[in-house]
Amino acid sequence: MRKLYQISLTIILIGVAAGVASAQSFRVQCPPSTITHPVVANNNSEPSYVGPTYTGTSGFPAAPAHVNGAIKCQQISGGDGYATMADGTQTYLFSFGPLSGLAKIANGQPGTDFPNEFNTIYAGPMLQPGDPATTVNAAGTFTFNGAVGQVPDLDNGGAINGHVDPRQMMDVGVMNGNIPAPLMAIDEDDEYFLTLSNVGMIMRPDLFEQHTVHFHGYPNASAFYDGVPDASVAINIGASFTYYYLAPDAGTYFWHCHITPPEHLQMGMVGQLYVRPRQDRVTGDLFTALNSQQLDLRTKCDSNTDILCSNPLPAINTAAAGAATVLNGGTSGYAYNDGDGSTYYDVEYPIQIHGFDPNFHFVGMTFNPEGFADMKDKYFLLNGRSYPDTVTAGSLQTQSADGVNHFSQPLSAIINIPAGKKALLRISDLDVSEYQTLASLGIPMHVVGYNAKLLRDQAGNNLYYNTNSITLAGGESLDVILDATGYTAGSVFYLYTPNLDHLSNDAENFGGLMTEVRIN
Amino acid sequence: MRETKMKKAISMSKLLPVVILTMASLFTATAYASAPGITGPTFNLTAATAYLTQPDGQAVYSWGYGCTGTPSGFAPAAIPAATTFCNVMQVPGPTLIVTENTQFTVTLTNQLPSAAGNTSILFPGLTLVSTSGGVPGLLTQEATGTSPVTYTLIATSPGTRAYYSGTQGDLQVEMGMYGAIIVLPATIPSACNTGLAASNLTAEANWGESDFRLAHAAYNNIHACYDREYLFQFSEMDPRIHTQALAQVTAAGSCTAGAAGCSLNVSTEPYHPSYFMINGRSMPDDMDPNYAFQYPHQPYNGNPHMHPGEQVLIRVIGQGRWQHPFHEHGNHVRILARDGNLILSQTAGVTPDLTGLAGPLLFTTTTTPGLAFDGIFYWTGKGLNWDAYGHNPNSTDASAKLPCTPDANGYNTGAPTAINYFEWCQDHEKPVEAAPFGDVAAGGPTTLPDPNLFTNGAWYGGSPYLGPDATLRATGCTSDPYIKSNQTSCGQTGSTPPSGTIANSPSGEAGFAFMWHSHNEREITTNNIFPGGMLMMMLVDSREFVIDESM
Repeated sequence: MRKLYQISLTIILIGVAAGVASAQSFRVQCPPSTITHPVVANNNSEPSYVGPTYTGTSGFPAAPAHVNGAIKCQQISGGDGYATMADGTQTYLFSFGPLSGLAKIANGQPGTDFPNEFNTIYAGPMLQPGDPATTVNAAGTFTFNGAVGQVPDLDNGGAINGHVDPRQMMDVGVMNGNIPAPLMAIDEDDEYFLTLSNVGMIMRPDLFEQHTVHFHGYPNASAFYDGVPDASVAINIGASFTYYYLAPDAGTYFWHCHITPPEHLQMGMVGQLYVRPRQDRVTGDLFTALNSQQLDLRTKCDSNTDILCSNPLPAINTAAAGAATVLNGGTSGYAYNDGDGSTYYDVEYPIQIHGFDPNFHFVGMTFNPEGFADMKDKYFLLNGRSYPDTVTAGSLQTQSADGVNHFSQPLSAIINIPAGKKALLRISDLDVSEYQTLASLGIPMHVVGYNAKLLRDQAGNNLYYNTNSITLAGGESLDVILDATGYTAGSVFYLYTPNLDHLSNDAENFGGLMTEVRIN
Repeated sequence: MRETKMKKAISMSKLLPVVILTMASLFTATAYASAPGITGPTFNLTAATAYLTQPDGQAVYSWGYGCTGTPSGFAPAAIPAATTFCNVMQVPGPTLIVTENTQFTVTLTNQLPSAAGNTSILFPGLTLVSTSGGVPGLLTQEATGTSPVTYTLIATSPGTRAYYSGTQGDLQVEMGMYGAIIVLPATIPSACNTGLAASNLTAEANWGESDFRLAHAAYNNIHACYDREYLFQFSEMDPRIHTQALAQVTAAGSCTAGAAGCSLNVSTEPYHPSYFMINGRSMPDDMDPNYAFQYPHQPYNGNPHMHPGEQVLIRVIGQGRWQHPFHEHGNHVRILARDGNLILSQTAGVTPDLTGLAGPLLFTTTTTPGLAFDGIFYWTGKGLNWDAYGHNPNSTDASAKLPCTPDANGYNTGAPTAINYFEWCQDHEKPVEAAPFGDVAAGGPTTLPDPNLFTNGAWYGGSPYLGPDATLRATGCTSDPYIKSNQTSCGQTGSTPPSGTIANSPSGEAGFAFMWHSHNEREITTNNIFPGGMLMMMLVDSREFVIDESM
């Protein structure tokens, strides 16, 4: 423990030293208003979609016809941590952890905040290492979702402007790695501010590694914010970098660190991210709403002039009415701007496929270089867990080398579907070494999206298909709807891999890439 | 043979200084790609042996196809003849460029060691009209050491296809015996010579850029027009197989073909590749020029460049025995066709688009052994919600104040000679930085960290912005007298144009770099060394920067 303490002190000192050279090295960013979203009061909830932001060829600096979307913010730490495998093994991770939305993440929700949540200043006693697990385990309640570390800037009249107290960030951020990394969810037309604070890898003080966030699959990505260290900048230990994007087209994306990908991805720096469609905010006719999206050149899809046109009008107008799902605050929604209601779901589950090579993770905890050609995954993971941990509800805890329990794997992989309802599975794969197949025993998989795009041809025909298995490589995503119509409450089905050697947890020959679909 | 197993597993942190040095030496001269090949209609190919160089210093004994003499022609014509060559062996084999419905012949002379036995070529998807010479084999007519075989072929549909050995494929294909055929459409839609396609030629001509296309369309379809093209062949090598083959070939000496013992018994399983290649080269070698002298047997590179808005055709073939998830950073790819078969909607499109495409939009395009696909990619920066050129109406610098006049799709396409041709106009002059270091617009949503707090990448253009002096302006180092209120002189905040961006410097190319790579990340290594393998950097270059694919 003494050694750990010294290391963390060193890193804090580095942070402070860098802070002298500039204003401040750790900081967060979440402006309550911007040029795009000028009215503070309107940015803390999603407004209903009533028309295009701009029409015709107009654009900045003209005032938008309608202000759509809101502002969303999130903070994550880049560092290390431990997770528990289904055979009980504690596995070392290079990992991201939550530094905002802590209570939401602990409850399996996206840690994404509106500005009024993110900019809430923590009022309780000092946050503790391991929080929120430390507080919860002490029979306390933990409801704080704001940015860890943010404090009033006393040099600027006590403004809430992103100024932070780095002590809280280190206390909470060090060794709080999650697998998968914190869940992110935004809506089309949102501006998204993601702050990555590099707290250092405490178990590997020999590595002065940067971390980045790559928003995998973003169309027309910015090279600067693409998170590829070779093509942009990467934030050093003891400092923060805020990524900024206007939400891209709706779909299931995912994110990961792009530093030495075979190492940082294998070690666990992988997370989930999805963008909900404008259609979730429509109250009237869906076809009409999709038609009005054609009036804004940013959101229109003219397959005649744009080869990458992603979302044509449906060939058949079903006259489906919008459920305004986001506005109602329920769990339902649409996977895409389908215009015909065909991607409706009642509940959604992000599912990330991944694999760990225990040998690589062991070597990664030591000061020895790892081999890449010999990489062989032995743990096969859904949301960072193997069966039977996949069917454990709630967060999994792991005691890290700091002697404190952390919520290491917050996201269960149980698929609960009310009888007669539909579940959207947002499946992403970040395996580093091989393809994996996931099969559904029982309810067929209705595939509606692939690589964050609606499956629809340019003539407007839906190309959805039913199957009982899907195969993905690292770097792919797919949207599946499981329709529980006609299934009775209480029945249980399995999602499992027909790669039968992947139904194992290292030496245990039962487990692996499997979870339950429960009709209730 | 210097085939010693390099058991040095090195992670980035330790290797980085070495890598940067290597790259510095490799990237002082920029190099580009395209889809070079040889033209027919008569192709005289060999099958022969040579050593392939790898960036870890190894030379790997391999077999491959090559040319028996000077081929009838090289394409594209914009690559000067003086730089082209087709040696007796190369990996991938020569790219054969033919035209739809035009008969051509491929004569294969077997110069492999006698112990390797016969060899042949399969042309899946093409019509084999007849064969002559050689001897019958299991899958096709084969060439012996003394009897070449001639295949007479015709391609009845355009597109990209693979060719590879049809004799003991588990060994011969692993040893390098594969290549590509590009079939150009017999008819080009007129739409591919007008409108934006014509404007792009005007833009190229204005900046002195050549046209490196093989044709103006990949298929006879208005959605298959393109402005630039690249061919990527993915394969992997297990050095043990190559070592074993060399040992057995050496032991057999000049044995008599067909005699007892004059054969190889190389075990091709278990398969454990450690080299992962694009066009026969591993990163960073793949980003050296086509026909670079240091790779006499690996003439083709993988080094895509493009300007904003250009329709870029990518032709991709899986040539190894594994699938590779090829992830294109920057945008999705529209899949046009699979093995030369255009994927079209079953019904007429929404008016007036009567020939709707039905191929998916993918950000990760799986390469599958023996399978080729054609896709179109572009990058415009549409929807970023900030001006990617960093225009600033308050500047006194003329290039900071270029106009953006939107066409019907919102792009600045009216003036093809403009530096910001194809700028996305809805975000024109919209700032991203709240308080920029230099001469770009202020009032945006974000604050960039102090440059002391981050590490620059080798391909970082130096700022978030694109344009001839964008980085100089954005870092407060323009010679222009306009001074921001928060910046008294260049470099005072340590925000001078960054150092270490050697592959794409602020004073040179300064493009937007995107990584195109296998997302089985293990495969972006070269024999356990990161970075390497199936990885290349794609650059979106400002319009005034001349992309010369002949370099």
